[in-house]
Amino acid sequence: MSEWEPKVITFLCNWCSYGAADLAGVSRFQYPANIRIIRLPCTGRMNPKFILAALRHGADGVWVSGCHPGDCHYIEGNFYARRKFALLKTQLEYTGIIEPGRVHFSWISSAEATIFAEKARKVVEAIKALGPAQHFIKKQAEVA
Amino acid sequence: MSEMFIAKGDFPAIIERLMSRYRVYAPVKNGRHYEFAALKEAGAADLGFKNTRMSPKAIFYPQAERMFEYSLAKDDPEVNIVKETPKDFSPQVVLGIRPCDAKAFRLDDANFCSDKFKDPWWAQRRESTTLIGFACNSPSSTCFCTSVNTGPFDTTGLDAMLVDTGDGYALQVITEKGKNVLGILELKPAPAQVAGKVEELKASAEKSVATAFDPPAIAQQGTLDIFNAPIWDEIHFACLNCGTCTFMCPTCWCFDIQDEVQEGTKGDRLRLWDSCMFSLFTFHGSGHNPRSQKVQRVRQRFMHKLKYYQDKYGTGTACVGCGRCVQACPVNIDIRQVGRLMGSGCSCPA
Amino acid sequence: MQAYTEKIREAAKRLLAEKKVDGVIGFRKGTMPFMNEPFMAKTPEQADLLVWDGNCGINLANYLPKRTDKIAIVAKGCDSRNISIQILENQIKREQLHILGAPCKGMTDKRKIQDELDGKEILQAEEAGDKVKVSGRDFEKTFNRSEYLQENCAICIHRNPVISDEMLGEPVQEQQVERYEDIKQIEAMLPEEKRKHFDELIEPCIRCYACRSACPACYCPTCFVDESKPQWVGKTTDPTDTRTFHFLRAFHVAGRCSDCGACERSCPVGIKVREFTKKLEKEVKELYGYEAGMVQDLRPPLDVYRPDDPEPFL
Ligand code: SF4
Ligand code: SF4
Ligand code: SF4
Ligand code: SF4
Ligand code: FES
Repeated sequence: MSEWEPKVITFLCNWCSYGAADLAGVSRFQYPANIRIIRLPCTGRMNPKFILAALRHGADGVWVSGCHPGDCHYIEGNFYARRKFALLKTQLEYTGIIEPGRVHFSWISSAEATIFAEKARKVVEAIKALGPAQHFIKKQAEVA
Repeated sequence: MSEMFIAKGDFPAIIERLMSRYRVYAPVKNGRHYEFAALKEAGAADLGFKNTRMSPKAIFYPQAERMFEYSLAKDDPEVNIVKETPKDFSPQVVLGIRPCDAKAFRLDDANFCSDKFKDPWWAQRRESTTLIGFACNSPSSTCFCTSVNTGPFDTTGLDAMLVDTGDGYALQVITEKGKNVLGILELKPAPAQVAGKVEELKASAEKSVATAFDPPAIAQQGTLDIFNAPIWDEIHFACLNCGTCTFMCPTCWCFDIQDEVQEGTKGDRLRLWDSCMFSLFTFHGSGHNPRSQKVQRVRQRFMHKLKYYQDKYGTGTACVGCGRCVQACPVNIDIRQVGRLMGSGCSCPA
Repeated sequence: MQAYTEKIREAAKRLLAEKKVDGVIGFRKGTMPFMNEPFMAKTPEQADLLVWDGNCGINLANYLPKRTDKIAIVAKGCDSRNISIQILENQIKREQLHILGAPCKGMTDKRKIQDELDGKEILQAEEAGDKVKVSGRDFEKTFNRSEYLQENCAICIHRNPVISDEMLGEPVQEQQVERYEDIKQIEAMLPEEKRKHFDELIEPCIRCYACRSACPACYCPTCFVDESKPQWVGKTTDPTDTRTFHFLRAFHVAGRCSDCGACERSCPVGIKVREFTKKLEKEVKELYGYEAGMVQDLRPPLDVYRPDDPEPFL
């Protein structure tokens, strides 16, 4: 069997972290290809359902990143998001849906391409260490 | 009708004999409640129950059931061909089902297994199942079977029926199917005094069930008179539209059909219990909802059970008086009270 | 607490006769032991049907959202907190309401009492003060109500209503209790144990959504379970679908849940669904110092922010 590689669904805000990913690419910084980027207008758009949906459809991990607090293009989108993330991460771990280390959050500005590449490596590494996610994937429904 | 007798001490061995030939469902205690479950060991069967929390309808009509499967993989020669999911229809016995619940299956047949329409899965499961009932010596305070054309010793829907006579079970064989199944057990005929004892138990059980309401009084009234009566305003107020009553009920048969696709390449067509209490139940693709209001949904449930079904099939109400909805409703909406209001010429007593 | 019955009737008759309100939301006596039915009295005559005792555990605030008439409502501590939240979230206007505050000593948990009776059917339950006498065909037994309270009531620290227009009685003493013992136990488990714990907890769920329907904080125009484009929650009884439902239900009431216990009380299969919501309540309290509905002008915590909010997720 070929070596397993995790799939990491990555939600990036359009104005900062997505720009950082772009810049990392243009600057030819290496970062793992495991991340599958979904662009959000702002982390304020991030909904807990998105994370559950990613896990349910087989993601091994999720990473959400946006502008630094105070730098949100919409002024306060990530201030609201921050409260959601705090509760979300604890609740995901508390209910056993994920182990610590499967869901990650960060603030990365569009200039921070090196930080982006570095964080991507760390996220993928952490998820790799946990092995494939199994618990929350919806396979064929267990029904009669 | 032949009468046989099983001493209590012999009962586990009898269940084991049945299990050697059939899948046997029986009431099993699970935490605070009883549920019907396919037995893994004879000892798990527990007839010390009043009734199971959920009705046994799931044995014929599971809450979630895969009907068809299909492949969406482009390179699959069978791509896009919908195939029926293979199912196990091997012979089975439901042991200890209450007379009301067995009668309920008869009523459900109007929907799933009539001369005109046959639901293949319901029909095949019904066909392969023998119902060995268990008469109710001491009905619950929420039972009102005798008001709705059945009763604690009613054998209408059963193939055989057990009656607890204290030291053992009298066993009445009712149908050919029952006779064939029980034939393997080589049971002894009941001693002479048992028949009298059964009659006594039956009389006292029937007497202990209170009259709840009068279905003919509901049948006699005009549909629109009840439909438009002011009673619904008061009846519906407390309802949460939670659907608990419909999920527990042995005669609630409505379902939804959904497709689920896995990894973009495999699909299932599922049948899932649905409920007239949910607003999504009647929500049209256009966005219109003919039953958008809670009061309409509550009215629908009771009208269907106590009026429409009576009028359409002429076989009484689509309620067998099991009392599950009365017990489980979190806000104490009581079909007995609703039945009284529906039959009372629709003047609100309160 | 039955003493409130007379006061509720008196207030209801007065308010209805003076046409100050169009209806009075309270309870009427149920048809079963330990059950009352939420009821709206619309005439002074109907006001005589209103009752109050230890079987009023349904949260009446659930009947308010989007009403357009003037309503008097009996509110326990928890109900009143949910009413505050509803006012903040524009579900009802303060001017529409006349709140009859009911300081509360907790609601009886009929399941706990039934557990003591070895399967015997309760035919009657009579409450007098802290005692409740239950009887059936061949038994009679008396219980101290305070030992058989709903779990949320046993650990309630806000028994007195936070808003009211008139009070039905003197304030009761608030309890000094540790609210989060069960939550801490779960927190201490390993990931695998947590998973198992919650899987077993929700295993009997029949996905009726009574827990959602009974909740006074659930009033999204379209509930996430009903969304179909895309469908976030599968409708089957598959474990992942049920996990998704419970996770999202609890998350939706984060910071808005008063721990009234209506969800748990309503669940037909007795699932302790508060184990999901209480954890969020605890986090919200620790992170943002907020308790749902306690202060009239403070919006729920996911609706506001502070520039220096903690970032434990980084
Ligand atoms: S309506 Fe209620 S009492 Fe009648 S059959 Fe259904 S669950 Fe039983
Ligand atoms: S169980 Fe009660 S509250 Fe729930 S839908 Fe049925 S009648 Fe309404
Ligand atoms: S009320 Fe109970 S059974 Fe119904 S959906 Fe909620 S947890 Fe599940
Ligand atoms: S989630 Fe449960 S305890 Fe919390 S407000 Fe809703 S019904 Fe009450
Ligand atoms: S725009 Fe980047 S977080 Fe709001």
